[in-house]
Amino acid sequence: MIGKLDMKKVIKLTLPSSLGCEKVAIASAATVGKRMGLSQDRIEDLKTAIGEACINAIEHGNKGKRDAQIVVVFKEGREKLEVCVKDHGPGVDIKSIEIPSIDKKIKPGSKQRGWGVFLIKNLTDEVEFCSSKTGGEVKMIIRIKRDDE
Amino acid sequence: MYQDVTVTVEKRGNKAVVNLEGDITTFAEDSITKAVQSALSDCRSIVLNFEGVEYINSSGIAILISIVTEMMKKGGKLLIANLTPHYQKIFRMVGLNQYTTVFNNLEEALAAQD
Repeated sequence: MIGKLDMKKVIKLTLPSSLGCEKVAIASAATVGKRMGLSQDRIEDLKTAIGEACINAIEHGNKGKRDAQIVVVFKEGREKLEVCVKDHGPGVDIKSIEIPSIDKKIKPGSKQRGWGVFLIKNLTDEVEFCSSKTGGEVKMIIRIKRDDE
Repeated sequence: MYQDVTVTVEKRGNKAVVNLEGDITTFAEDSITKAVQSALSDCRSIVLNFEGVEYINSSGIAILISIVTEMMKKGGKLLIANLTPHYQKIFRMVGLNQYTTVFNNLEEALAAQD
């Protein structure tokens, strides 16, 4: 719950809904991940997952509307980093998203895109897709593995 | 259009090297596709050199799949050099390593047999 968090450790970015702007969120993820002591490997995972969540929000959530925005919230906890990416869309119906297969996508005439959700799911410890009256949201969690664990 | 990639092609022996620098995203599609098509007109083996690449997103992955499809159609061979460990992991995750040969650096890729 947000009320139990130290608000000094909540970072909120509001970004234009425009491809390329996800790089601002990616740069922030690198800084937050480093500050929290994540390994370089996990920081790279986090950067890719957040980038893909932002791209989905821009392309599918906000459907390319240039006057829309996306909101990225980093919540730093002792044991985990939670990152939410919010847009103004209806949310992702995760059941309708097919697991991509390289063998299918490699065939001539196939659609090669559609890897974003797959990457998010495979690069984070937990992911949740939800929607509300205000829009769609992807919540990603990266757990922090301490040296003494 | 916003573009943050530079693509150059050079011939090294019987291989064409496509040097990539910048971001491999949807904005890079035209530049990379044209460079690969140009390289394919001259060589069967193409090395994509990722030495100057910091960011590849899912649209970039789609571009690479489309290149693999094109190469398979034309009987070409795609070699990959200088991917960071993170993107090597992404290649394995997606399955691109099944359709390309990944080398740690350009020298290893150039030394590979056709």
